[in-house]
Amino acid sequence: MNWLTKQLRKDLWSPEAAGIGLGLVYILALWLSHHTPGAAGTLFKVASIAGQPLTANDPRNIYFSRMFTPLTDGMTWQAWLLVGIFLGALASVLLARRFKWTLMPDIQWRQVFGGAVWKRWVIAFVGGFILQIGAGIAGGCTSGLALAGGVLLSPAAFMFIPGIFLSGAIVQWLIYRRQY
Amino acid sequence: MTLTDVLLALGIGFLFGFVLDKGGLNRYHKIANVFRFTDLTVLRFMMTGMLVGVLGIYTLQYLGLLSLTDVAPSVVARQIIGGLVFGVGMALAGFCPGTCVAGAARGQIDYLVPGLLGFLTGGLVFGLLYPTDLVRWLMTAGAFDQAYAKLPEILGVDPMLFMLVIAEAIFLMVYVMRKTQISRRDKLAQAASGD
Repeated sequence: MNWLTKQLRKDLWSPEAAGIGLGLVYILALWLSHHTPGAAGTLFKVASIAGQPLTANDPRNIYFSRMFTPLTDGMTWQAWLLVGIFLGALASVLLARRFKWTLMPDIQWRQVFGGAVWKRWVIAFVGGFILQIGAGIAGGCTSGLALAGGVLLSPAAFMFIPGIFLSGAIVQWLIYRRQY
Repeated sequence: MTLTDVLLALGIGFLFGFVLDKGGLNRYHKIANVFRFTDLTVLRFMMTGMLVGVLGIYTLQYLGLLSLTDVAPSVVARQIIGGLVFGVGMALAGFCPGTCVAGAARGQIDYLVPGLLGFLTGGLVFGLLYPTDLVRWLMTAGAFDQAYAKLPEILGVDPMLFMLVIAEAIFLMVYVMRKTQISRRDKLAQAASGD
């Protein structure tokens, strides 16, 4: 019991120990719920709250009227999963006594981009904007396509993953330059 | 949605969020540095997850206890270009949708406010552009004949045998990453890991 408490209070586990838990998440989701975990779809359903009224008169655009109906029409399994992700991460943070309100990331960010909060907020917004469009094109994000497709051995995942690393590495090389 | 479904989704999500935080995936430098190959935590975490997941899921399917679900249809242009676009955003922001939610739970307001607003704006813009010729092309160019088929089915090989070969390959990659200092040395990553 002491051992368990000690583990739960740790800030970080080894990537492999945490990764075993990640594998269990996907097994349990498919086995007990017959649902695939994924985060991006729920975000499209929140965007649909504004998007559906805007496209209601366009019969060619079924994105918000058929594919991603507004989340206000009803919570889905994946939406509850997202609530669970927040609560689970919060429990881990509180157990490790690491909860802290912060406006921008750690030491590394400041060394590379400086201490201006507005800069972090602009880049976080732009990054989020771009990657959600990428998720829309590909049909999922890291959880709903790369990992879910990976454990299901779907070709879609194995075409998606290399692109993330290629463009991610190029962007970091451009940003970090001499420090890459 | 029955109450059981809701409770399962909450419980499975809880475990998901818990290991995302314990893995350190909801921290900027962990995501930023995997693209610099100076900290391979993200790769080791994801590949261990895939190893355990693929073993469990295909074994349970073999035993008739589970049926495989579908992810997005396999379309060459969709996933390759989608992945390239996604990688740009992920490297810039240092998070993706799931890790952003887990990062907000640390009290990181840059995840909670501009991060989520970025997703929602991007999602809205993509939905508005959905009927355009460009998006139509992206969604269909290079579509697989069996769009939802899994690799063993496409290759016509035994699913269990193929799964074991893939699992073995992933295991070896994780083993090498864990046992050797394969990642590049870097002062930034060293300083950040103490954070």
